Amino acid sequence: MNPKFSGYAHPEALVDTAWLKDHLNDPNIRVVESNEDVLLYDTGHIPGAVHIDWRGDLQDDVVRDYATSERFAEVCSRNGITPDTTIIFYGDKSNWWACYALWAFRLFGHTKVKILDGGRDKWKAEGLPMTREKPAYARTSYPEPTRRHDPEIRAFFEDALAFSKARQPLIDVRSPKEYTGELTHMPEYPQEGVLRGGHVPGARNVPWKTAANDDATFKSAPELKKIYLDNLGLNPQSDVIAYCRIGERSSHTWFVLTYLLGFKRVRNYDGSWTEWGNRVRAPVAKGAEAG
Amino acid sequence: MSGYPRPLAEIVDLFESLPDDEKRENLIAYADAAPHCRRREGESFGLEDVRKDEECTDTVGVFLKVDPATRATHLRIELGPHVQTLTKAMTAILCKGLEGASPEEIMEIPQDFVPRIVGAQLIRLRSQTVYYILTRIKGACKVWLNRERAAAAG
Repeated sequence: MNPKFSGYAHPEALVDTAWLKDHLNDPNIRVVESNEDVLLYDTGHIPGAVHIDWRGDLQDDVVRDYATSERFAEVCSRNGITPDTTIIFYGDKSNWWACYALWAFRLFGHTKVKILDGGRDKWKAEGLPMTREKPAYARTSYPEPTRRHDPEIRAFFEDALAFSKARQPLIDVRSPKEYTGELTHMPEYPQEGVLRGGHVPGARNVPWKTAANDDATFKSAPELKKIYLDNLGLNPQSDVIAYCRIGERSSHTWFVLTYLLGFKRVRNYDGSWTEWGNRVRAPVAKGAEAG
Repeated sequence: MSGYPRPLAEIVDLFESLPDDEKRENLIAYADAAPHCRRREGESFGLEDVRKDEECTDTVGVFLKVDPATRATHLRIELGPHVQTLTKAMTAILCKGLEGASPEEIMEIPQDFVPRIVGAQLIRLRSQTVYYILTRIKGACKVWLNRERAAAAG
């Protein structure tokens, strides 16, 4: 095992590039690429990897929610995934969307999930094989999940509002200028339709990037503990809600807190700022203070 | 296909005739061709605009040359490595599709051709930079035209 992983609460939730290179033909795993760049998989991917699109495959077309259980089962079946398949997610943007897809799979009760530390960028930077050949796996019959696990790992507006009022731990993982309200879009992105800038009153700003190294890998356990335990005053028993704009960057933080630091109850508020910042009568705090 | 220079109109026609899979393949082929849009050794330009804007993931350089006799525009575009694949594809499409058009024609091009090429499914949250390159080209044309007017007035 990668020695860095041994410090994490759940080291089994990560694989590194060397491990994956040696297990590409393991029949019990399925490598899944999930990206922000909608065409990136088509330009080359890890051999044998399938593509799961965060929007087309995991979200509902009409309601702002996740796919139906039937649709989720179809996505899995089409990609040769069974409930016993271990899925290794990786992607662009330091694994934002890989973590998001992993979190969505957990919503549907698929627990055999891992992240490739460093994601697509590290695999590519190390000169490991890439291909444009799309794999074809024998179709499976993934059973329709009978329940969703939203209450355990997903927060809604009302949950975030209750946390805000009670001053329970809310982590805003966006960039500092989004948090203060100076920007209503992410740096390097166009405006994505939000009326007001600022943050949820009481939320503390810990940008997702503080948990990642420049090569897209996760920071070590001691570094993460310093950020979230020492500096933020949280502990693994803390009940935490994380948010960003649409829930992808906060999925990264959700993964860090849940799997790397072993927090027992972390919820991702996927409505995030695109809901809160547009919501009628939702209170907003501006500036660098939590408010 | 009113409002589009002929080479761009032909590209739009082609994409509109393709099923989704082939549309995707062609977009990848155009994205692969984006490096050919870079400046070549010895080329000179009347306007060079290289910058990293807050709303794009990487640096984009737009290089513009206009033939004073024919008013035909010649474009080169250089992209940083983190630009999205769709944006790379649109770069190659615009370099080919706008070659020879006048700055005035480019300024008048409606951006409604973008979804016609890319397809509605791929134009969505987090792929809006597909419009960015056209905006930058129009910005360069506007500066060039303003300079021309200023020179004529002065």
